[in-house]
Amino acid sequence: MSATRVEPRDLRRPLPIGSVGNLTPGWWGMVMLIATEAAVFAYLFFSFYYLQSMADNVWPPSGKPPLPYALGTTGALFISVFTVWFASNGIRRGIKWRIWVGLPLTGLIGIAYVLLQLVDWSVEPFAFNAGAYSSLYYTITGFHLVHTIVGVLMIVALLLWTALGHITSERCNSVRVVALYWYFLVVVWIGIMTTFYVLPYVTPR
Amino acid sequence: MAEVPTYRTPEVITPTREFLDKMEEMWSDPPGIIGWLSTVDHKKIGRRYLVTAFLFLFVGGLEALIMRLQLAQPNEHMVGPHLYNQLFSMHGTTMIFLYALPILSGFSNFIWPLILGTRDMAFPRLNMFTYWTFLLAGAFMYIGFPTGQGTDVGWFNYVPLAGSAYNPGPGVDIFALGMIFLGISTTAGAINFIATMFRTRAPGMSISRVPIMIWGTLTANVGILFAVPAVSLDFFLLWLDRRFGTDFFNVSGGGHPLLWQHLFWIFGHPWVYAIVLPAMSIVSQCLPVHCRRPLVANSAVILATILTMVLGFGVWVHHMFATGLPVIAMGFFSAASFIIVIPSAVSVFAWVATIWTGRPVFTTAFKFFAAEIVLFVIGGVSGFMTAAVPLDWQLTDTYFVVAHIHYVLIGINVFPVIGGIYHWFPKFAGKMLNEKLGWWNFWLMFIGFNVGFFPMHISGLLGMPRRVYTYPAGLGWGDLNLVTTIGAFIFALGVLVFLVNVVMTLLRGKQAPANPWDADTLEWTTSSPPPHYNFGVIPHVGSLHPLWEDRLEQSDGRTVLHEGLKLDEEHEIPGTTILDAEADVILKMPGKSFAPLIMALLISGVFIGMLLEWWWISGAAMCAMFPALLYWFWPSAEVGRSPRESRA
Repeated sequence: MSATRVEPRDLRRPLPIGSVGNLTPGWWGMVMLIATEAAVFAYLFFSFYYLQSMADNVWPPSGKPPLPYALGTTGALFISVFTVWFASNGIRRGIKWRIWVGLPLTGLIGIAYVLLQLVDWSVEPFAFNAGAYSSLYYTITGFHLVHTIVGVLMIVALLLWTALGHITSERCNSVRVVALYWYFLVVVWIGIMTTFYVLPYVTPR
Repeated sequence: MAEVPTYRTPEVITPTREFLDKMEEMWSDPPGIIGWLSTVDHKKIGRRYLVTAFLFLFVGGLEALIMRLQLAQPNEHMVGPHLYNQLFSMHGTTMIFLYALPILSGFSNFIWPLILGTRDMAFPRLNMFTYWTFLLAGAFMYIGFPTGQGTDVGWFNYVPLAGSAYNPGPGVDIFALGMIFLGISTTAGAINFIATMFRTRAPGMSISRVPIMIWGTLTANVGILFAVPAVSLDFFLLWLDRRFGTDFFNVSGGGHPLLWQHLFWIFGHPWVYAIVLPAMSIVSQCLPVHCRRPLVANSAVILATILTMVLGFGVWVHHMFATGLPVIAMGFFSAASFIIVIPSAVSVFAWVATIWTGRPVFTTAFKFFAAEIVLFVIGGVSGFMTAAVPLDWQLTDTYFVVAHIHYVLIGINVFPVIGGIYHWFPKFAGKMLNEKLGWWNFWLMFIGFNVGFFPMHISGLLGMPRRVYTYPAGLGWGDLNLVTTIGAFIFALGVLVFLVNVVMTLLRGKQAPANPWDADTLEWTTSSPPPHYNFGVIPHVGSLHPLWEDRLEQSDGRTVLHEGLKLDEEHEIPGTTILDAEADVILKMPGKSFAPLIMALLISGVFIGMLLEWWWISGAAMCAMFPALLYWFWPSAEVGRSPRESRA
């Protein structure tokens, strides 16, 4: 019977101190931030499809959107999944140089994405306030743009901390957490790409 | 630049006086304004939440009393329609957003670490940040009202009335931006509670030994994580429509006003559960203590709580039955709304059975909890009635709905909250609230509430619409409204007695012992009020009722309090696994910090800039957030995120 009783002495064992290993508080925080941000995008998509289902005219009202820039941004973001993974996987295995390759590349791709998206905006034939479709288009891509800028800033912070020696193979959770955020950005982009650029080309009028 | 060790085997000790003195010194804040502004102590944050939310309750209550004076008789002209519209709008937003959830956050912030057997929340600085943002967002939402520019389209703010065509003034903009602002606070708080539950329980508090109060709040906060984005987005889109001429809700531009209602109620109905489930879990936690037995069907109540929240995401259209939706949609949402009665009834039966089979002690706290059951049943039945579409068509936007919402929100939120304060006041302030005044407090509130709000059902059935500033004589509503007004003032008198009781007790109440109610959970093992460090050594939990183990003999598990892990190198707590709660890490908790206040002020700057359309203020505040967050998240050894001792 007494086997189920725990003596406090049994608790003695070596424990990691602070953010070591998996499932740190920061990881939990990021997972929940992503969950709530994912909900924001889910409600944005809900708004899009709801208004589309209620629309009298054909969506998109101004014809099929131009593809080249969107294909460019999609390709860039897909590559960045690999670069950010390369950095985060590398530091966990103690290969520090992979941070110095993976993170700057990811950051540059992020910046390139932001610039391409801005160019894409400038060639769109409609303005922000020219009807429900364009309002949704700019709001949804704009939300994603802002999230990407935040992601790039996170990478800048990581590079700074790596340079100052705060990130080691044992204490590298911040890299994992940022990588997680970056994957989320790409997943959301898949939804945006599908909604705005793929579906108009594949659905029959 | 010494290297920080990566592993340590903590000693198991029985704390001595010197050890506890050292811990008290380590966990307390510096005196004066510096300590006040930079503290991250969950107990201080919890108390601030409680006090601030009560201030909002009093403000919202005064607004209600003015409305009741106005409506006491037909054709009164104490306030005009413009002011009346602002009064009911500010009353609703204040009570629903600035009182009902923050008061529960106050309880949870204070009680959670104590009941979980630990020393702080998972994210102490985020915790302080949620309070500052709540306070600043609340102040932001009130900036228009004193100058007659408060929002005046009701708390659910329907378009097109809330659009710029019908409402060009700043009131709706203040409300919209304030709600987005407040949403940041609420979401950050939810993240903190969930991480706390999953990561920082005392060793041994496996998932089956988690007190029920935690479950209610946890469920609500998971709901918040997915519900609040809907309303923040809704208000953001409205703000874009109003300020930039977008067309989300404008029919002429291809938008749709019902999009507003969908997004609002996708948030709104789960929100109802967010502000009642934690309060119901306060009842489930405390009522059994005053009945001298464990809660009946503890597991069933937990599962019912979770099921209520899940179903709560699928009933939002019952707020929109009168908008001309397809019949099949209404049938589905009507059925879902009926089904939700089942898990709600589980809690009611469990409470009744707990009283029935227990030996109730008729304390003030008990009275408030027992009254909650009665009011919940009345409010539940009136909700159940309006789940039927034809009846809803008859009753929508009448005083029947006003009666329903007040039975639900005052019955299931205010009554448990006041009861909970009587119950936990020894922990909050180290004193016992006066039971004699408590008797007056309870009966005035209970009688006043029912005299005030029950007649509203009848005036609603007689066809009195809500949100009218006056009504003609001869419709038969005058006497009912007079009774309602009298009841409202009796209720307010009861709240006043509560306030007097709190002030008198703080001034000269008698010192509370550690466990005055002979309760079962870990917060009662600490002194009243608890020391800054909560627990000298971290307890090892052996059952669901740590302090009742010997008399219940439900299991062999025994909680160990007198000796435990020695975690005394700066702010340390054990991190434990999700299911079994085995210690698997020593978490380094951050101490005092100005980062939360700085971030909250910067966010205020963003919203003030957006409101005034001074974009450079918003831009500058956003740019300043990067260094502020860099400072916040700096990987110092103090928080266990850097291998080196150097400080930023």
